[in-house]
Amino acid sequence: MLRATRLLTYTSSKRGFATVVDASKGFKVSAVDNGQPTSSVTVLLKAGSRYESKPGVAHTLSNFAFKSTGTRSALGTVREAELYGGVLSSSLSREHLALTAEFLRGDEAYFVDVLASFIASPKFTRHELNEYVFPAVHSESSAAGQSAPTHALEVAHALAFRNGLGYSLYADTQATGNITAEDVRELHTRAVGNPSNVAILGTGISTESLAKLFEDAFSAHKTASASAVPATPAVPATTYHGGSARVAAAHGPQTIFVGFGSTASTSVHALHALAAHLNPAPALKWASSAAPLAPAIPAGVHARSVLLPYTDATLIGVVLEGNDAGALKEGAKAVVSAFKDAAAGKVGKEELARAVARAKFQLATSVEAREGYVGVFGPKVLKGEVATVQSALDGVQGVSGTALSQVAGDLIKSKPTFVAVGDLHVLPYADEIGLNA
Amino acid sequence: MSGPLGYSLASYVRSSRTLSNWLKPIAIWYADLSGYRKVGLRYDDLLVEERPDVQRALTRLTPREAYDRAFRFKRASQISVLHKELPKSEWIKPEEDIRYLKPHVLEVVKEDQERRVWDTVNVVRK
Repeated sequence: MLRATRLLTYTSSKRGFATVVDASKGFKVSAVDNGQPTSSVTVLLKAGSRYESKPGVAHTLSNFAFKSTGTRSALGTVREAELYGGVLSSSLSREHLALTAEFLRGDEAYFVDVLASFIASPKFTRHELNEYVFPAVHSESSAAGQSAPTHALEVAHALAFRNGLGYSLYADTQATGNITAEDVRELHTRAVGNPSNVAILGTGISTESLAKLFEDAFSAHKTASASAVPATPAVPATTYHGGSARVAAAHGPQTIFVGFGSTASTSVHALHALAAHLNPAPALKWASSAAPLAPAIPAGVHARSVLLPYTDATLIGVVLEGNDAGALKEGAKAVVSAFKDAAAGKVGKEELARAVARAKFQLATSVEAREGYVGVFGPKVLKGEVATVQSALDGVQGVSGTALSQVAGDLIKSKPTFVAVGDLHVLPYADEIGLNA
Repeated sequence: MSGPLGYSLASYVRSSRTLSNWLKPIAIWYADLSGYRKVGLRYDDLLVEERPDVQRALTRLTPREAYDRAFRFKRASQISVLHKELPKSEWIKPEEDIRYLKPHVLEVVKEDQERRVWDTVNVVRK
């Protein structure tokens, strides 16, 4: 029966999106081959900052990727990957840790073995933690701290979701002072302990051969120990709180984030359309957008809408950046009134059509690149669903003007999330821009 | 090639039961005679540390081990100035004389060797 469904999916979708196959240990394997010249394999673990037991452990684990394992040394992995001409990387989001290998077609056996050995038998030595991992963690987190928009979004997440999704992605020196190699190992063990929490995504390779390669690689690595896997603490369902914060920063552009959160899964399509509706960024560089918000944004202020969907919550808002804090205040007022206009149903037919088209294009183009593919389809593959972009596109296509204004109205009723980073003498408070915080 | 730990026949002696039965009493007697335990040092404290690999190994000690090592050195210097031995109760007992540094040194030597291999590797296209 499994075979029959597989064939059906292959013929029905020309692009061969993602049939999910369970590999030997129960890992979910899914791949798409569009005939691109390179292949990539990504292992997606539920080891994002949401699942960490101490602040910063997830960030440390992401920098521990591809260090020495039971069968490979860190130096050997780097030098061999260079000889094959591949690239190894790890990227962390609030929910998932993605370990990726990109390589030329034909080298998949080697790179799959590298990934499998990190899953099966990482060493997490104390000296690697101190000599290689912490310096990398510190430089990443200080670079993130220099970027005002990144900092604003970090604060916004903490205000909006508090625990879980609110945890910071970055481990600063204060956090790493408290982290030991054992903490990192514990997060890794919890993430890979339950194979249904691991998804393996490939591009430029067929699902069957990827599953076969991982089975072979895992049978070669004997599992580190048969000791009991620490029970995964149940991650509490996300609730949206909201709030406002003003953070002093002496350097970088002035930044304001105005946004709302939603935990309703039914409104995701409408939120995509709303984000596209609000986005004042023009389609052509130096042109001015026809979006309703665009004319109200003062010159010199750069504004863009952000939509951050997670498995059980979504953060939507507008980030404004600029050198003039006063102009930024005017821009933020315009954003709030744009939200209110959308809630009041002042969305024209033409504007709705434009928003839907932009949202659909955003969705479709995001899965073209490998990172977007992993980000969009990874969570679905983890759930064991067959992932296609078509269902999301159809969902956005079906968004009506009333649905858009209703979802905006629901957002407006909840407590807003407001973050200002920069010159606090001039940057506004939440109530000064019309938010009822 | 001599590493930081010097030549050793220990593994050969240990592999032969007869030989280790013969030599062990002599080794115990010799270690006791050399007197480093009487000034409160462990055998790994005597390891030549003026080499990059041993310096790197020293950074890998736990903070507790590094502190204890520094304490033993201070105590031994003081004893040396006084031309005395420690009171017998403070002598390092044979079971306390553990090789706390050797595993780290071996690890560093292995890493250095691996780096040398990779730096001079001869790649053959198949």
